[in-house]
Amino acid sequence: MNANDHDRRLEEVAAYALGALDPGQVVELEQHLAACSRCQEELQWLSPAVRALPETVEPRTPPSALKRRLMAEVHADAAAEARRARGEERRQRAETRPGLGEWLRGLNVGGLTWKPLAGLALVVIVIAGGIGYAVGNGGGSGGGPEASVSTFRSGRAPGVLAEVRREGSTGRLQLENVPPLADGRVLEAWVQRDGTVEPVKGLFAPDHRGEATTTIADLGGVDLVMVTVEPAGGTRAPTSAPIASVRID
Amino acid sequence: MTTRRQKAERLADEELMPRIGRKDTEAFEVFYDRHGGVAWSLAYRILGERGAAEDCVQEAFISIWRNGGRFDPTRGSVRSWTLSIVRNRAIDVLRSKAGKAPKMTFDDDAILESRPAEERTEEEAMRHETATEVRGALSQLPGEQSKVIQLAYFGGFSQSEIATMLDLPLGTVKGRMRLGLEKIRGELAEGPA
Repeated sequence: MNANDHDRRLEEVAAYALGALDPGQVVELEQHLAACSRCQEELQWLSPAVRALPETVEPRTPPSALKRRLMAEVHADAAAEARRARGEERRQRAETRPGLGEWLRGLNVGGLTWKPLAGLALVVIVIAGGIGYAVGNGGGSGGGPEASVSTFRSGRAPGVLAEVRREGSTGRLQLENVPPLADGRVLEAWVQRDGTVEPVKGLFAPDHRGEATTTIADLGGVDLVMVTVEPAGGTRAPTSAPIASVRID
Repeated sequence: MTTRRQKAERLADEELMPRIGRKDTEAFEVFYDRHGGVAWSLAYRILGERGAAEDCVQEAFISIWRNGGRFDPTRGSVRSWTLSIVRNRAIDVLRSKAGKAPKMTFDDDAILESRPAEERTEEEAMRHETATEVRGALSQLPGEQSKVIQLAYFGGFSQSEIATMLDLPLGTVKGRMRLGLEKIRGELAEGPA
């Protein structure tokens, strides 16, 4: 890149910080930022000026109805969450109870009554559980089958480097060389499964070293992992070209 | 006896966010009381309609309530993160109303039912000082620099849309944006430490 090209990019950093860069130019500038420390410094220098702009609006007390509506929705949300948690707890208890009962009923043999045997069985379970726990934590190999681990990479320096580490059905996506994001922008990961693109739950952002990580809860059937820069809060479908993509075999 | 609300009031914004992530409604209410005013003023400044501004703030704060754990303290303050979410939503609303020009003045005081928010804390007093500095810096900018910054930030227009609107070469718009922001930034840098 020659000096004129660089100066042109530097000039665009202010528009980028203000969110006024034309959509087609955003990806191009973000790729330039990944490799240009001078433009990164310019963005970091200008960002506080942009962050201060909303403070120039005269603060006013909002309509009281707004807070009432908002808090009603928040309380309803919290109540629904508590109900979900209680339901889940009940479901888990219900799943364990019948299994134990059936097992105890199956032990009613040889003329022994059910109740004393139940007590004995519980003692056996507690002791066996204790032994199992001790073995499991003693570094023995007697657990379940180990999850297979595979690593997939893409990208080339100085651009964004991406790596997906698959462990069983979950994945860990790690990015390097991510340029600083403009205010109000976040990273959002996407998976492609059977030709359909779905968002990965949980937005993320690069740290000061340009590194960013997120977890992909379900990699089953996924053939491509992508990352885009999106408005804070995320979107339901990508609105910009991926800054990184990793093919999963 | 100290209530949960009183305890939440003593916490810094950065300490409230994990509580909001754990669905603490008192923490969320304190968070709204601190930033709801400026958020609503910003949304109204951009959208120019009371109903649209209310919907915008409600959606933005609900998204924060549902995703409170996503705040990253390495990327600025809770307040600037919140305001950037509000601003992005308001701009999305503006852009979705195809062909409708955003309101660029804030002159309809009758539509507001309120008074300026009182300064409650030292932090808020400092914010007020920063706001005064930035307002001062904006007012001292040459009109053409202030205009492109306001069209971009509060109007949601891209640099090429501004160039077309003002009948200016694109390079001139870029230059004015950069010079204007540099001056505001310089003013902030010279402010009290």
